[in-house]
Formats: sequence, C-alpha cells, structure tokens
Amino acid sequence: MANKQKVKGGEALLMALLEEGTRDLFGYPGGQVIPIYDHLYDYRHRINHILTRHEQGAVHAAQGYARATGRVGVCIATSGPGATNLVTGIADAMLDSTPLVCITGQVPATMLGTDAFQEADIISMTMPVTKWNYQVTSASEIPRAVAKAFYIARSGRPGPVLIDIAKNAQVELMDYSYKPCLSLRSYHPRPVLDAELAAQAVELINAAERPLILAGQGVKLSGAEQSLIEFAETGNIPIATTLMGISAVANDHPLFVGNLGMHGNVAANEMTQHSDLLIAVGMRFSDRVTGDVRNYAPEAKIIHVDIDRAELGKNLRVDIALHADARDALEAFKNGLQHRSREAWFAFAREQEAVEDEKVFSHTEDPQGRFITMAQVIRQLAEVERGEAVIVTDVGQNQMFSARYSRFNTTRSFITSGGLGTMGFGLPAAMGAKVGVPDREVVAVLGDGGFQMTMQELGTIMQNQIGLKILVLNNSYLGMVRQWQQLFFNRRYSFTELENPDFSKIAAAYNIPSRRVTEPAQLGNALREMAAAKGAYLLEVAVLPEENVFPMVPAGASLSELLYND
Amino acid sequence: MNKEYIIIAFTENQIGVLNRITICYLRRKINIESLKVSESSIKGISMFVISAFTTEEIIDKVVKQIRNITDVIEANYYTPDQLITQEIALYKVSSKMVGEHGRVDALSRSLSARLIEFNPSYVVLEKTGTREEIEQLRDDLQRRGVLQEFTRSGSVVLHRDSLEEILHEIENN
Ligand SMILES: Cc1ncc(C[n+]2csc(CCOP(=O)(O)OP(=O)(O)O)c2C)c(N)n1
Ligand SMILES: [Mg+2]
Repeated sequence: MANKQKVKGGEALLMALLEEGTRDLFGYPGGQVIPIYDHLYDYRHRINHILTRHEQGAVHAAQGYARATGRVGVCIATSGPGATNLVTGIADAMLDSTPLVCITGQVPATMLGTDAFQEADIISMTMPVTKWNYQVTSASEIPRAVAKAFYIARSGRPGPVLIDIAKNAQVELMDYSYKPCLSLRSYHPRPVLDAELAAQAVELINAAERPLILAGQGVKLSGAEQSLIEFAETGNIPIATTLMGISAVANDHPLFVGNLGMHGNVAANEMTQHSDLLIAVGMRFSDRVTGDVRNYAPEAKIIHVDIDRAELGKNLRVDIALHADARDALEAFKNGLQHRSREAWFAFAREQEAVEDEKVFSHTEDPQGRFITMAQVIRQLAEVERGEAVIVTDVGQNQMFSARYSRFNTTRSFITSGGLGTMGFGLPAAMGAKVGVPDREVVAVLGDGGFQMTMQELGTIMQNQIGLKILVLNNSYLGMVRQWQQLFFNRRYSFTELENPDFSKIAAAYNIPSRRVTEPAQLGNALREMAAAKGAYLLEVAVLPEENVFPMVPAGASLSELLYND
Repeated sequence: MNKEYIIIAFTENQIGVLNRITICYLRRKINIESLKVSESSIKGISMFVISAFTTEEIIDKVVKQIRNITDVIEANYYTPDQLITQEIALYKVSSKMVGEHGRVDALSRSLSARLIEFNPSYVVLEKTGTREEIEQLRDDLQRRGVLQEFTRSGSVVLHRDSLEEILHEIENN
C-alpha cells in the first residue's frame, strides 16, 4: 500500500494492524479509545474484536493466542484504569517471552501531565515490563510505531511492547502509507552463530559420557523442535524440558526423560545432578529449575545456547556460552556429532524412572478410595485427549499436576504462566488459545482459587461462543500455598481455605453446560462427556482437599534433596 | 568487593532511554553515583556516562541488560583507571578567606583553582581535576568553615582508544 490516502489516526491504526496480519484483537473500550472503536465498527468483518470482561482478560487472551499460534497477540484498552489493568499480563509476557502488541488510549497530547481524567503514565509504569514502548501524540506517527512494535515484539527474544496513543492522534487526519520495519540500527535480534564455538561444543558433546539436553521455550519460539529431535537422535542424547519447554518434545519420544525443576521428574532432576555435560537450549536457568545453584549439576560442564545475551552467565557460570538462535545452534551441533551408545546413562534414566514409579506414580490415588485426586484427573484427562489437546493451566497445584501428568504429541500445546506465576491466567489464556487454534481441543485446567480471579470471562466465552473446555479442580484450598504451610509452616493453614460458590450455577448463569463430580468412579465418564461436548463446557471435580504435589525440591534446596510423600 | 565501575553507553536520542537505563540499576538496588548524558560526536546519538559502586560480576550483568534495550547501540563498563576522567566543580567560598591570602588571585593559585567571580561577600572558584582532587578541595574548604556552596559536573570521560569507532561504522553503513 504505497499509495497515500488521507485517513484518521484511528483508522490508520487498524490498517496498520491488518498489514501486520492481525485478524483477532482482544479489548475493552473506554473514553480515550472510542475513536478507534468507532473505526473498529466498520472493520468488524476484517478484524475480529473480542470484548472481554476485564482488561486483564484481554491481555491474557492475547498471550494464550500468541503462545498457541506463534503469532503476535494484540490487545487494546483505554487510558488510566484500562491501561493499568493490562500491567499484570504485560509483566507475565515479559518473563515468558510472549510476543504482544498492547495498545492503550491516552489523554490528548495537550493535557499530558496535568492529571487529566483517566490519565495514567503508562509509559513509565510499563518500562520495566516491556521490551519497548512508545507514546504516539500525532497521527502521522502511527504506521511507523505499529511497524516497529510488531518487529520488536516478534524478533529476537520475543516480548510485549506497548503503544500509547493520545486521543488527538486518533482523530487527526494523516497521509497513510505503510512500510514494515525490517531493521533498526540499535537492535540486532538475530545473532550470528559463532561456528568455531559451536564446533568446540560438539567436541565436548562427543567426549561426554552422560550428556543431557535441557530444552526450554526457546526451542518452540525458534521453531527448532525438529532440529532438536534430529540433534538428540544423532548423538543419542536424552532430553529434559523446563516447564516452559513442555510439549516441544513428544512425551513418548524414547529420548525424553521428563520435566526439570521444583516439581519435575525424578529422572530429569537426578540426571542433571549426575550429568557430565548439560546442553541447555533456549532456557534461562530459573531458580525453579536449578534449586540451589551452588549444588546444581556438580559434575557437569555446561553449554548454554540463548538468543538473549543477557541470559548467558546470568544465573550460573557456563563453560560454553553460545549467543545464538536455538535452531541455528542445534543445526550446527549436528556437524561432526558422533552417535554413542551411552548404555549406562540410559540405564540410570530407567532406574530413576522406576524410583518415580514406585515413590510417586503408584501413590497418585486416594488410599481410602473416597476422593478423586488431582493427579488422577490429569492422568485420565491425558488418556481421554490422547496427547492432542492444548492444555492451558492456571497457577498452583493444578498447574504442577498438569505439567507432570499431561501428555503431548505436538508442540505449543502446553500454555502456562511460568515466570510470573499469575493466578487468573488460565481461563482467559485458554480463551485466547481457542480463538487462535479453533480446530484444536483446548482445555483450561484451573484451581478453584485461580478460576475466581478471572471467572468473569465466562461472559466472553458465552457471547463469542468460544468452545473451550473448563476443568475446575476444586480442593477448597489455595492448594499450593496450603501445601507449603503443611510442609514448612507446621500445618498452620493461615487464610488458605476457600468457601466456594456453586460453580455449576455460575456456569448455568452463563449458559455453559456443566457437571460436578465427586466420586472416582464417575471421573472417566465425566471427562469423556466434556471431550465430546461441542461447545464450551465446565467440569468441576471435587478433589482430595489435602493432596500434595510430589516430588518437590523445596525452594532454595539442591535438586538432590527431593521430598516425597511419606 | 564493591568498586567504582563506569558504564558508557551510546544510544539513539529517544525519549525514555534514560529511564530504561536507570531501571537496570534500580532493580538491583544499585545507587548511581553520577550520571551524565550528552550528544556524542555523531548527531542523534547520545552518550551516557554512569558511575556506580558494585562488583564486577554485577556490573557485567547490568551492562548486558542495558545492551538489551532496543535503543541502546553499544554499552560497556570500565574501571576509572581505564578512562581519562575529569570533573569540573564550582566552589562558593566566603570572602573572608581572601583576607588570609592577601589577594584573591593568590588564593585561587594556592588552591590550583580558577577565579570565576569575586565580590565582597563571596568568591566563586572553579577546579578541574580527578574526583579525588575535586573532593579533597571540597573537604579542605569545609574543614576551614568557608565553603558556602559546592556543585560538580559528574565525570567527563574519554577512553584511550576510540569508543566511538563503532558508531562511525554504523554511520558509514
Ligand atoms: C495473582 C496471584 N496471587 C497469589 C499467588 C500465590 N499463589 C500461588 S499458588 C496459590 C494457590 C492457588 O490456589 P488454587 O487456584 O485453588 O489452585 P490449587 O493450588 O489449589 O490447585 C497462590 C495463592 C499467585 N501465584 N498469583
Ligand atoms: Mg484450590
């Protein structure tokens, strides 16, 4: 669209969004974005705007959308309270490297700084949690700002950006023309792989007896899933994933040894502690993965691949720090890589899996047989969905059980708030995911606490007929906090017990079919009924109130100090 | 061990960059001792000189996070001995000091400072020097009870090699 045409700023924004491929937009109107909404009315057949029930719902939906599709998620809110309501989601997207373009309205440029009605300095407020942000005060800046925003959000290590548009810029006329942003002189998102360093890495890998690949979300973000498998198979190297990396590798791949970290699998964590070489790809050695860094992987050399230079050496010292895109690095690692049998190493993996079988998997049901357990729900859900569903979790025990017991055949199928651990993320993120991948089954796995943080989005689901499945695991507790109170605070359950509403009445109020189950015998049938439902469906499972997630690495302890249920 | 580290950053002359840079210090609770922003020898590119006391391990992480800011073109950290550092300071001194020295130019000479303004109630002196020299004179005047006001510029630095070479490369591209 090189030809210039005169349009208002608000329309220029929508035209620019279309140029960038935006088809779905999550938002909430208000005084300082009414002009944009007025144009949206005309564009409603080209841009699918979804009205959420809270701006937090809009931003989490955009996150779920981005995580499921790999495209940039877009949301819009008015100035002041609308903008501040986005902040939690923006912070979440920053920590979890989710590409988002957030658009906020702002008071007219002439009123900036005057404490005008609904003025909030959202640029300052979001600086620490955005990759880039920009305030537009004249219509002519809009196409360039949008082009830059999308380029920055999706390139390099993806992240959220925010464009704050003063009201006068929305109504001014401007000459519209669009040029996508392809580079910026101060920003170099695609590192050039250091081939020599990669060759040194391969030497280390060939020499290693007990190598372990730690795959993070970077594998998904760079589309390196296939390269990862080829690399691992060529060298015969086991793979473990971080919480954010889950579903990058199919669970039934013979080289997959499980999840890392606080509630990870025994094999993955024990192998970390016994490995002589960690090959970390697109992950950031978060404290939830490493436990006490001083006792982390004591025998291992470490190769760390990340597209973000600031991650290299941030949390621990590494032997080879390779600043590279995950796919480039994994492709380079295949050169000269030797296949080694590593029999003893795989035997160790099987041994540790057997430990987990004995100490964990065989105790996932209520010994009295009275209550359904969360573990049981997720294990049976995995059987029903056969690894094909997108699982979106909330935060807490529901999240950790989902991570441990879900099964995946395809990438981008596990969506969770990893870095920020935002309760209330699950329902709106699942909604966004379903909008992004309407042909896939999407299941929101929620705790009774987290569900109630953003429960109002049931209205969005109703109005837009978003056919996602909602699985509420009701333990009548803020379960994860209660678990810590039980284990580390002498069972003093300080303000973690919940008196809950009748969730089926709530679902009914929104015209969403629902069912509540309490008996283990009903569970399989209920899960199948949920899976078979055509539209939205809510299944509430009343679960064992005091179930704990095990194994567990207590915060700050070493990975070798796993706690089990005893 | 905490030592003085100076980060020099070249950035696009964009609104908000200063804020984003100081956030990198703030979030690790590092106090900025001095900060100077000015236009570099290339139009449109700003030069930041920021000094703070911390450890090398931390400053290395801070500088990496500063480099990640979209509008930052280049950033590196230095210890003071790697840089040619000078500061300029102004001292407002009670004019009774002149009495002790007889003449005002004798006073400024004895303190290796330049005379800027002189009137019956005070004398303004200017001194250029290293941080230590600047602070020594300040402490000295304070001890004698004659220092009325004091203000300093923050470090003006040059590297022995050219820091701006990289910028010229960008400019030529
Ligand atoms: C917004 C927010 N507030 C508080 C917390 C702290 N927190 C972490 S898990 C948890 C309990 C969650 O309870 P529920 O949603 O019922 O899930 P459960 O652990 O019982 O599965 C809390 C309060 C959080 N992660 N996010
Ligand atoms: Mg709960």
